[in-house]
Amino acid sequence: MTSLLLSSLIEALRCLPGVGGKSAQRMAFHLLERDRERGLKLADALREAMQRIGRCARCRDFSEEPLCATCAGSTRDHHLLCVVESPVDLAAIEQATGYRGHYFVLHGRLSPLDGLGPEELGLAQLAQRLGEGEVEELIIATNPTVEGEATAHYLAQLARAGGVRPTRLAHGVPLGGELEYVDRGTLAHAFGGRMPCDHP
Amino acid sequence: MRLDQQPAYVLHARPYRETSLLLECLTRDHGRLGVVARGVRGERARLRRAQLEPFQALALDLLLRGELATLAGAEVVGMPLRLAGEHGLAGLYLNELVVRLTARQDAQPVLFDAYARTLARLAASEPVAWTLRRFERDLLEAIGYGLQLRQEADGDGLLQAQAHYRYDVEQGALRCTAGAPHAVRGADLLALADDRMPDRTGMAALRQLMREVIRYHLGGGELRAWRVLAGVQPQR
Ligand SMILES: [Zn+2]
Repeated sequence: MTSLLLSSLIEALRCLPGVGGKSAQRMAFHLLERDRERGLKLADALREAMQRIGRCARCRDFSEEPLCATCAGSTRDHHLLCVVESPVDLAAIEQATGYRGHYFVLHGRLSPLDGLGPEELGLAQLAQRLGEGEVEELIIATNPTVEGEATAHYLAQLARAGGVRPTRLAHGVPLGGELEYVDRGTLAHAFGGRMPCDHP
Repeated sequence: MRLDQQPAYVLHARPYRETSLLLECLTRDHGRLGVVARGVRGERARLRRAQLEPFQALALDLLLRGELATLAGAEVVGMPLRLAGEHGLAGLYLNELVVRLTARQDAQPVLFDAYARTLARLAASEPVAWTLRRFERDLLEAIGYGLQLRQEADGDGLLQAQAHYRYDVEQGALRCTAGAPHAVRGADLLALADDRMPDRTGMAALRQLMREVIRYHLGGGELRAWRVLAGVQPQR
């Protein structure tokens, strides 16, 4: 490889998840040989996004405005607040459910060994919001991992302190799963969290 | 070196390279080990990933070469422990304590047993603060920084239950007056030595004492988990 620019482009592309040296090289050649225009578009979009996307002051989701569209709009239910670990989780809930409430994004979970404590997750800000009196239910949607569960416990206490009812996503046997193939931890969890059958 | 069916717990996991995890494990015969677990991220690896959560007794097959070990196999031992609520937060504290105070590849069978015992106590919802004090005592003992809880530091007298002491990390229990800062009753030090839970005042004094000692061994640093635990109210 003689071109310095080319090798630095390939190197840069490797920062993407799932992209190794081979794929990076293929991408670079593809853009240069066949798609320069869209390559430039990509460069512009990348620069704009990296420089201008910050966090919404209210929910901490990604946003280029001080308040994101969800927080700024008035159409969603202000009594419901759903806490997620990451913007990816938020997107997943938006796509899979008909949820019409608001969100709060932690950008992590309580993890002392990763240097993540209450401050890093913006929990003082969350506590303040819960104390404002508008939220009635805090839906805790942290991951069912050890750290996610510990975080959920912490959040539930915050909610109760603010007079808000905390709820937790149910977890258990995956749809279409067979008990025989479910791992022990999940099965124990599902068994412990069993529900009465009288719901229609 | 190949280790088969090594009893172990995962203390912490973080993403490593594309699809791997770098696990920090406490093993029975080789102390704390950094272990690379390949191909355990992503949807298809969910089952294998779930096994490698903290607080689960595991038997690991490992290839130990240089600084890091590679995971060749993992098997869950026994029933999964459920550390609910503040007991889970206490478990995270435990893990930070072990990672921060022990060196990698420093064999600690005594510490391993103390750790397993502590997890069982947390899972059985025993009182969190006392469970943590007992573990801190055993951890310090195991890594060679054991507290002097029966002898007075100056002179060779036995600790007096009625006397008050200030615990100096290097010297031990020094007599002081009742109202002195960091004063702890002799009875409370003896209770910790004898594995009896002291009263409320004693528990508060021991908590303070342990923080000072741990801070000293961290070279003046803080544990992140202290701030997490500070924010939760004990249950009941
Ligand atoms: Zn927002």
